[in-house]
Amino acid sequence: MAAPANKFQPRITVLYCRQCLAADAQPFEGRRPGQGFAAQLVLLPCSSKMQVHNLMRILEKGADGLQLVACPDNACQHLVGSMRAGKRLAYAQGLLQQAGLEPERLGLARGQGLSLESITEMAGQRAEAVRPLGPNPLKGVSS
Amino acid sequence: MITAEWKPIPELVGYLRGHQKVLLLGCATCVAECAAGGEREVETLAPLLRMALAKEGSPVEIITGTLERQCEPEFIEPFVPAAEGVDAIMSLACGIGMQLLAERFPQIAFYPGVNTTSLSLREAPGLWTTRCAACGDCVLGETFGLCPVSRCAKSLLNGPCGGTRTSGSCEISEDTPCIWNLIVERAKARGQLDRLSAVRRPKDWSNSPAGGPKRMLREDLRP
Amino acid sequence: MSLKASTNLEKVLAAGQFALTAEIGPPRGPDAEVVAKKAALLKGLADAYNITDNQTAVVRMSSIAAAKLVLDAGLEPVMQMTCRDRNRIAMQSDLLGASALGLRNVLAISGDHQRAGAGGKLKGHPGAKGVYDVDSMQLLAILKGMRDEGLQASGDELTSRPAFFIGAAWTPLGPPKEFRVTRLAKKIAAGADFIQTQAVYDVKAFAQQLAQAHDQGLTEKAAILPGIIVPRSAGMLTYMHNNVPGVVVPAELTARLKGASDPKAEGIKVTVELIQAVRELPGVKGVHLQAIEAEELLREIIPAAGLTPRPQV
Ligand code: SF4
Ligand code: SF4
Repeated sequence: MAAPANKFQPRITVLYCRQCLAADAQPFEGRRPGQGFAAQLVLLPCSSKMQVHNLMRILEKGADGLQLVACPDNACQHLVGSMRAGKRLAYAQGLLQQAGLEPERLGLARGQGLSLESITEMAGQRAEAVRPLGPNPLKGVSS
Repeated sequence: MITAEWKPIPELVGYLRGHQKVLLLGCATCVAECAAGGEREVETLAPLLRMALAKEGSPVEIITGTLERQCEPEFIEPFVPAAEGVDAIMSLACGIGMQLLAERFPQIAFYPGVNTTSLSLREAPGLWTTRCAACGDCVLGETFGLCPVSRCAKSLLNGPCGGTRTSGSCEISEDTPCIWNLIVERAKARGQLDRLSAVRRPKDWSNSPAGGPKRMLREDLRP
Repeated sequence: MSLKASTNLEKVLAAGQFALTAEIGPPRGPDAEVVAKKAALLKGLADAYNITDNQTAVVRMSSIAAAKLVLDAGLEPVMQMTCRDRNRIAMQSDLLGASALGLRNVLAISGDHQRAGAGGKLKGHPGAKGVYDVDSMQLLAILKGMRDEGLQASGDELTSRPAFFIGAAWTPLGPPKEFRVTRLAKKIAAGADFIQTQAVYDVKAFAQQLAQAHDQGLTEKAAILPGIIVPRSAGMLTYMHNNVPGVVVPAELTARLKGASDPKAEGIKVTVELIQAVRELPGVKGVHLQAIEAEELLREIIPAAGLTPRPQV
């Protein structure tokens, strides 16, 4: 979906597990523009390295959404790392809910042998999920 | 360890609403072990509270810190400068640490961030279960090392009530073992079931929390 | 044999008669007439009537007050007392008061945990602080000490001795099964004169536990009254089998009610058969009948079991 340039362009932080990358893909960190959104890619050695406080911090800093990209549940290099990451993400969503914030700003996609393009597409999925919510209201409010 | 759990987030938000600058302090001992008040929890809760307060239009500056042990005065001292600039302190330590902190800064508004709940064991990752109720009159010697005071929902001292489920769980929950079922099993395994056949007299609770605040004195250790 | 409290129940048992107790649950309001009505409905059917003490941790009229109302209506109550809501001071004080009001049969039980709240059907008071200062065993010992030695639990003397006929509950089929007979022995050693059991449907399994008690001479030391809860449907039996600890319902029995064209009538038949079956067991001195929220059924069942009129002792 192409959004007009003056409309809300969600900023999506993507935490992706390096094990999800296709063998021939170059690990990349930084900004990747998408259709109607911008993705900020952050590489993790394993999705299980992601802690709940990292997620909170990223949202607090103003990301409109966060997409965690992890290996399939049964294909984690560290056996249960990817499963744990999923549980932590769900826990963090619960905290947001309790605090009256929007749990949809956090999301999880799973995949293997991914290209940077497909990872960016996954960021796009999150962008579409947060588009109805509008920009992160905390942008610029807290540090 | 002493276990605690976060108070409901809306309650915490309610405490901090209207403050300017708050110091959120964790403790790296028991409450860190039970994932309620260690550095990770402090750094999770602080942004969450900042976001929740900002969203409702009453942003609060929250600075953070985690003490080695909040229940020892010397660990609190390094935080004195930080505390001087805030108008409220919220602690994620157990009730003991919290009170020492509140005592050190009596002029600053103080709020508990956790509910201190029990003396528990980390039975498995992510699972803590009660082991002791500090009853002041330990009966473990008569109950094969399993505590009926804290682990039986009715603190029974003479064997299981009629509520033990077929599964061996307590009547209060399928997830809680009937400790008397376990005591009997252990006695049986030791071939000493007969040791459970005497009627135990009513317990003296005067050395437990029911007896009033404890004051334990050791003259030989006094200054 | 010298009687301990000379209650009707005690005298029926002492006379070697097959005893019968029933149950009257106090109302969830201050209505003396509700108690009187239930009493009128059941009068003459049993030797004594258990008055429950905030059963399933739901607030009801106090068992002392309801027991007194029942007594005034000309029936003999068995006042139940749980360990959940009172410490030893309140218990002993209430026991002295109960004695002063003429209440002589007392049944000591642990009581459902305060989280029970009518099994989730009502809110209850799950946030209440449970007391459990003493357990049912210790309460039995306190009752006995008051009666036989004129002493309070602490050893302080009472000005006179209250006469109590002391009852206790027994869950013969609850786990750990190998300890349940020992637990019965402890209750009797602590002070129990009579025992009412958790509902029995599996007569064979009950008989095995009872036989052990009998062999140990326990059935001579205390009168054992197996409990029977009138089954009204297969669903009720399934519920009890799955959810009420210590209640074991044989599958045939549930099937029988399920297949019955009139489950209520079948339930009455089953109850009568159960009474007859447990009556045959050595050491059984009576039965404790409950028709939960359907007390009127007892008017049919008890005569059908040939248990009326009740003995005059
Ligand atoms: S008996 Fe008392 S002191 Fe001993 S473990 Fe249990 S609660 Fe703690
Ligand atoms: S079921 Fe077991 S643990 Fe639970 S209250 Fe009864 S005796 Fe205690």
